[in-house]
Amino acid sequence: MRFTETHEWIDVKENVGVVGVSAFAQKELGDIVYVELPKVGREVKKGQEAAVLESTKAAADVYSPASGKIIEVNATLNQKPELVNTSSEGEGWLFKLQLSDPQELTGLLDKQAYQANLKDSGFSP
Amino acid sequence: MSKTCFEKTQPGQHAYSMSRSDSEFDCFLPPLRLLRKNELMLPEMSEIDITRHFCELAAKNVGIDNEFYPLGSCTMKFNPRVNEQCSALPGFSSGHPLAPEEMVQGNLQIIFELVEMLCALCGMEAGSLLPCAGAHGEYTGIKMISAYHSSRGDHQRSEILIPDDAHGTNPATASMAGYRAISIHTNVKGEVDLDHLRQMASERTAALMLTNPNTLGLFNSQIRDIAEIIHGQGGMLYYDGANLNAILNVVKPGEMGFDVMHLNLHKTFSTPHGGGGPGSGPVLCNEKLAKFLPIPRVEKDGNHFKMSWKDVSSIGQICSFHGNFAIYLRAYLYAKLHGNYGLRRIAENAVLNANYLKSKLIQFFTIPYSQSCMHEFVIQADNYLDKGIKALDIAKRLLDYGMHAPTIYFPLIVKECMLVEPTEVESKATLDQFVEAMAAIIEEIQQDPELVRTAPHKTPVSRLDEVLAAKKPILKAQLK
Amino acid sequence: MDFISNQKAQVNAMLEAIGAGSIEELFASIPQNLKHRAPHRDDGLSESEGVILMEEIAAKNTFSSYESYLGAGAYEHYLPAVIGFICSKSEFLTAYTPYQPEASQGMLQATFEFQSAICALTGMDVSNASLYDGATACAEAMLMALRYQKERNKVVIASSLHPHYFSVVKQFLSSHGTLIERIPFDKDGSLDRAKAEALIDDQTSAVLLPYPSFFGVIDEIKQISAKAKACGSLMVVCANPLVYGLYASAEEIGADIAVGDIQPLGLPLQFGGPYCGYMACRQDLVRQMPGRIVGETIDAEGKRGFVLTLQAREQHIRREKATSNICTNQALAALASLVCMLWYGRQGLRELALTNYQRTAYLRHRLGQLPGVVLMGNAPFFNEFALSFGYSGAEAFEHFRHRGIEPGLDLGKYYPEFNGYLLVAVTETKTKGMLDRYIQVASELMVRK
Repeated sequence: MRFTETHEWIDVKENVGVVGVSAFAQKELGDIVYVELPKVGREVKKGQEAAVLESTKAAADVYSPASGKIIEVNATLNQKPELVNTSSEGEGWLFKLQLSDPQELTGLLDKQAYQANLKDSGFSP
Repeated sequence: MSKTCFEKTQPGQHAYSMSRSDSEFDCFLPPLRLLRKNELMLPEMSEIDITRHFCELAAKNVGIDNEFYPLGSCTMKFNPRVNEQCSALPGFSSGHPLAPEEMVQGNLQIIFELVEMLCALCGMEAGSLLPCAGAHGEYTGIKMISAYHSSRGDHQRSEILIPDDAHGTNPATASMAGYRAISIHTNVKGEVDLDHLRQMASERTAALMLTNPNTLGLFNSQIRDIAEIIHGQGGMLYYDGANLNAILNVVKPGEMGFDVMHLNLHKTFSTPHGGGGPGSGPVLCNEKLAKFLPIPRVEKDGNHFKMSWKDVSSIGQICSFHGNFAIYLRAYLYAKLHGNYGLRRIAENAVLNANYLKSKLIQFFTIPYSQSCMHEFVIQADNYLDKGIKALDIAKRLLDYGMHAPTIYFPLIVKECMLVEPTEVESKATLDQFVEAMAAIIEEIQQDPELVRTAPHKTPVSRLDEVLAAKKPILKAQLK
Repeated sequence: MDFISNQKAQVNAMLEAIGAGSIEELFASIPQNLKHRAPHRDDGLSESEGVILMEEIAAKNTFSSYESYLGAGAYEHYLPAVIGFICSKSEFLTAYTPYQPEASQGMLQATFEFQSAICALTGMDVSNASLYDGATACAEAMLMALRYQKERNKVVIASSLHPHYFSVVKQFLSSHGTLIERIPFDKDGSLDRAKAEALIDDQTSAVLLPYPSFFGVIDEIKQISAKAKACGSLMVVCANPLVYGLYASAEEIGADIAVGDIQPLGLPLQFGGPYCGYMACRQDLVRQMPGRIVGETIDAEGKRGFVLTLQAREQHIRREKATSNICTNQALAALASLVCMLWYGRQGLRELALTNYQRTAYLRHRLGQLPGVVLMGNAPFFNEFALSFGYSGAEAFEHFRHRGIEPGLDLGKYYPEFNGYLLVAVTETKTKGMLDRYIQVASELMVRK
């Protein structure tokens, strides 16, 4: 699992990346009430807005950690958006991406580096 | 448990009476195929039940008439009843918006003279009352700026600069008007970061939107420098007049360097908030932008007033008719009653009340900006987080003390903030009561934090589940 | 005069607590060269002087001395007394937006009930808490449709939509480069259905039709809706809400979004405002709908309560990505309208709509029988119709005005092809006696020719 500085994670197997947001991100947002998922088939670029997480007090853009094509979205979140809070790095995954440029992953942080970043900014992961 | 009027429906009951019809009308019926087939499921209630229903609802609501309402950024001041009385005069309330000019000279006089008064007050040359709210005024002003740049063949201006402590309507307006909103940092002194501004201002800058005093209640004394930076790049300066109450007849936005502005009659000019509206957001501008003002406009020709509906340079119409006219009546009378003398006194007393309250609250809260505030100020409630108490909890507990909470979590750049605006009308005694209530709550945080964390306890309902409301929205009553 | 409470003693005590020598000191952060000196002369008025001033200005308006047949988007209806009484209650009139819901259950519940009433009227699934007016509601509906299907950038709008409403829509779409196609109307004022269907295609984001039109005509909206649906376009109907007391609901004619101005139900003419825009839509469009929305929920003890909800759509949360920049709406006007809708109730609203229709039909029919009078056509109508007395210019108007009647709107000023036509609106405020007098005055006018 690798992380972005904007609190997304991506877990890649055979060129397909599962994407979600970190435990820190879900805590900051509060109770998620709605998830706006991308359309299957859409092409996204690394860093482009791909999804939106809504709580009662905020709406946060989720930026795609890599470029590729959306091949699946987590439709369960339509009925149970709270999964993003209870299992942000597991069942609360957002979408799956067919990577177009696996090289992009080398720029991302591993879990340790991501958590160290958080500590440096004064947050507890 | 409260029942909606839909649940109070009783078949056959009604309040209405209909005037006598005539047998000669009866033969007229529209084509059957076009008629409504589905039932019209409005409630059926008698007039006494309707009256009781709304009295019951009123008992579960509070306005400035009922309690102190120090909502920062909202300017909750007393709504004079003489304004209400005069706006209901039949000569005013019965006017059709498309009536011939000769029949509505009084109405046209109100519009013309109110624009004149507001322009003089704000150091501007021309204006329009048409925008129905502040956000509508912002949109109008930004579209005028857009028209100005286009008229000069300057089509590369795609950005609007907005300080990060700005009201949400500012960036939303920029988007609606087709621009990208670029955020400008606020420095630790609570003022616009000039270096960042210089960095971001360019030939792509259409305008900077600024509130002065800003949403932290601080006057940006570098306003001339800011104007120079923006004008130097060929951009325009937009003034968000939400905080005008602090500077009435003290400083004029036009003289600060602003090209166009809006103000809020439902804030500065005492027109009632009505539970969320209607308001009015007049837009005023300098000579450069005057020809882009929306239509219709009211002009004076000797002693006669006329309406002008045609101007090729105008950005066009922004609302159905003449805007929220009955609101102008209230603002007009308010301005006349005060005169320039009274309007100045408003600013002086608004600033006095705010500074007094701030000096009393400093013992309980962090004050992030040490300099003198204007008509409102920010306090931070972050020193109670270790007891599990946030600004939200203190706000809710204030409701139990019979006071409306200040604005919370705005501006976004200050953590656990409360924005407090007492306005000029409140007496020292009321302000002292507010301080006492805060003192009591702070004591409760020490002795019994749970009480504060689960507040309010004395309101018709306790803390409401907003997460449930958003997750499983029920947005209307069951229609039977 | 002013409304300031503190006198010298309190001012001095407060300055002392602050540690300032004068109020002047509190303005020290303002550059000296920008500051004005305080005026020394009190140029204000006493309350009684203020009242006299306002009465003098009101007296300059002579409009109320005429029996008016003006409509065109603003209609004179009887206003039940209970409306003014409820809307002037302190707790409603002087309250702020219900951001602290526990202290604002009254207004929140009233708004929830308003939303419900709009849904009952239009037959749609959800409604918002109001927009500024009918024109901006149309504009917001167009923007909503464009957000819903971002790949499309064309809208199709009836040429018989209120010209002011069309101007506002055009203004709001001007930042988005949207292609606007207009559906022409025939000589009888009704929309050309074939041309409408030809204009609607798979690039169309929304079709906007009035109900009734500016000419008072009731068009065959249901058929045009079918074409819109087939092309995947949204259908927006802009209606005088009273029409729903008689004619098919927005839902029945295939609307996806229903908008308009609620003014005919509960608001005085007031020279154009405050009026109140309404917007209701299909359930699945709710997250694209602008404006505040009230929802039902429960409190910590399980008691029912109401809150502003789905706020992530709005400017204070979503900022530059919000559905709209709207903040302040027309809340109190919406309350007035709710009270009016309750006063009439389900039976009364239907009777009100019918009597409006019948009085209009009576006048139209009787005028149509006068030799030389030309009615615009025979299309179905509501509350309004257009006709020509065969005069151009002001002559016909002058004739009626001398008899204390404002006979209608000069239609030629808005549609040059209808030069010499008047747009006449009749509501339940016109008794048979008044209508017969109009006919009498008209017949005198025709005899003169």
